[in-house]
Amino acid sequence: MSINSISGCIGCGTCVQSCPTDVIRLNEKTGKAVIAYPADCQICHLCRMYCPVDAITIAPEKSIPVVISWG
Amino acid sequence: MSNKEKQDKEKRGLSRRQFLGLAGGVVGAAALTTIGMKVQWNTNEREIDLENFSSSIAETDILVIGGGMAGLFAAVKGHDAGAKVLMVSKGRLGSSGQTPFAKGIFAYDAAKESMSLDEFTDTVTASAINTNNPVYTRQMAEHSLERVNDLKEWGFFDSPLYNKAFSKPIDERNIPVMERIMITHLIKENGKIAGAAGFSLDETKIHIFKAKSVVLCTGAGGFKPNGFPICDLTHDGTVMAYEIGAKVTGKEWNDGHSGSMDNPAACYDGWHGMFDMAPSTNTIDVHHDLGMEGNYSAYVLGNPVSSGPGSVSAEGGPYVPDGFDREMEESGAPSGAPSGEDDGERPSGPPPGEDGGPPSGDEGGAPGMAASASSGGASAGMAIHKSEGLVPINEKGESNIPGLYAAGDALGSYMAGGIYTQIGSSLAGSAVQGAIVSEAAAEYVKGISQPSISTSTISSIKESMLAPLNRDSGYGPAWVTQTLQGIMIPNFILYIKKENLMQAALAYIEELRDHHLPMLRAANLHELRLAHETANMIVSAEMKLRASLMRTESRCSHYRLDYPDVDYKNWQAWINIYKGTDGQMRLEKQLFDAWPAQ
Repeated sequence: MSINSISGCIGCGTCVQSCPTDVIRLNEKTGKAVIAYPADCQICHLCRMYCPVDAITIAPEKSIPVVISWG
Repeated sequence: MSNKEKQDKEKRGLSRRQFLGLAGGVVGAAALTTIGMKVQWNTNEREIDLENFSSSIAETDILVIGGGMAGLFAAVKGHDAGAKVLMVSKGRLGSSGQTPFAKGIFAYDAAKESMSLDEFTDTVTASAINTNNPVYTRQMAEHSLERVNDLKEWGFFDSPLYNKAFSKPIDERNIPVMERIMITHLIKENGKIAGAAGFSLDETKIHIFKAKSVVLCTGAGGFKPNGFPICDLTHDGTVMAYEIGAKVTGKEWNDGHSGSMDNPAACYDGWHGMFDMAPSTNTIDVHHDLGMEGNYSAYVLGNPVSSGPGSVSAEGGPYVPDGFDREMEESGAPSGAPSGEDDGERPSGPPPGEDGGPPSGDEGGAPGMAASASSGGASAGMAIHKSEGLVPINEKGESNIPGLYAAGDALGSYMAGGIYTQIGSSLAGSAVQGAIVSEAAAEYVKGISQPSISTSTISSIKESMLAPLNRDSGYGPAWVTQTLQGIMIPNFILYIKKENLMQAALAYIEELRDHHLPMLRAANLHELRLAHETANMIVSAEMKLRASLMRTESRCSHYRLDYPDVDYKNWQAWINIYKGTDGQMRLEKQLFDAWPAQ
């Protein structure tokens, strides 16, 4: 599934800002990043690339069925 | 029987098994917690307190909406021209829209190029079969080197991530930037632009912006397609402007990017490492790219289409002007191979198939260009760069609404035409237009006093903005979007076009427009954003179908099976779309060599 784990998060919030599709949020209690809306992940990896501590891993599969034109 | 009694009766008549079947998934689980009290599988399970919404008002001379390449230059050059500028963005500066993924930028250096500006412009016009606006084509090339030099100074070419380089000139000038605010409404008072309004994605807060001028740098959009990083682009600017009377163009063109059959939605993987690369510049290289050839082959021969050597291509199909045939044909790959390798969002590399195979690993490559099978519709819903958006009334990106300007992919400048022509011109065009347009806006605001916005306007905007949160029941935006995708994305609707199928699709879209759009619901701020994005996509879908039906010819990236030829007699014209006084969508022709009548 798209963005699939966040491990070692330092709670800086950079990934939340950097995600074009608003997939990640900081958990109100822990202050750490959580995958809040995985269905909207466009698998672009910006969150992973901007993360200062390489906490994010991403898989190429989309978490919801994919509509394509042909193929 | 009272409503309550009726509901109770219906509830009793529904077994638990049936209920689970109907609701399914997360919604079912949530609703189950309340079973025995009331069946509420369609209830909007609101997560935020509607009473808690605060609002703030900011004032500026120029409001720049969008934080990509066009927005960057609009903010910087508008400021340098003496105007007070404020930037607002749905995402983060340099990290939203298509800009983060564009890696090649065209720089026309007169000292080094063999072609003059006029020759370059004529070459683009030949490839675009007259669909480009030569004023904007030339302007892009003429100013591209200056903008590239600005970018060099800011460190743009030093990193694959653009936020730092974009922040440099913004911070140096203390230009305020407000991020993660989705603008949903443009405000017009007394016939002129007066500002915009939106909401925060992070707190229950509405933002009203009073502005003498608004520069839309909101990018283009698609149908949240699978395989192209544009799922945050939903034609927001175009639709907001249409709603207040602006003219919109370019909806019949289509970007023909294909994707990979392996995990078609994986944008990063499909581009083979290109997103990790720092950007670079390129020189004159005019193509006829991102058209319908791959879609045509898939339609005629069946799919998937593979682009490896020895593949077969379909006879006939879209017309390609002399001199712009793809080099791939010579190397044995199909003319119908998915385009994309040569688009402006990557550094210039060898033409596809030049080495008899997919692009080299060093250079990366666009989706679908690997030797493996391709899928279609990667960028579904998006037109060719710079060919859809607000209709400019002059060479400065001014719209038909005084004070409202657009730049980059939000402006229907036809810089490239109805087909992608110069490699790297998309990024260059956004930079050039952002600067020119904002300097024009800075000039405009000099004679304008700060507009006032009536309280009745503000309260009606608030009501419409928050309506999806206020609905106790309705349709989830994710489901409506998927339904829209199912109607619009199949190859035989917007790529290989036929009148009867477009009419059929239009009937579905009108249903979404009239019944589902007014019932979109949202439980939180994320869904509120999705609800507005979904509504914008529905309006754009209607525009795309109506413009495609009206254009009874084939040219560039618009291909009709029932009108397969270029019609030079009747269609040396663009199509403008506007909202009629009766609220209905209206379409008109505008001749290629004319600015719209005022």
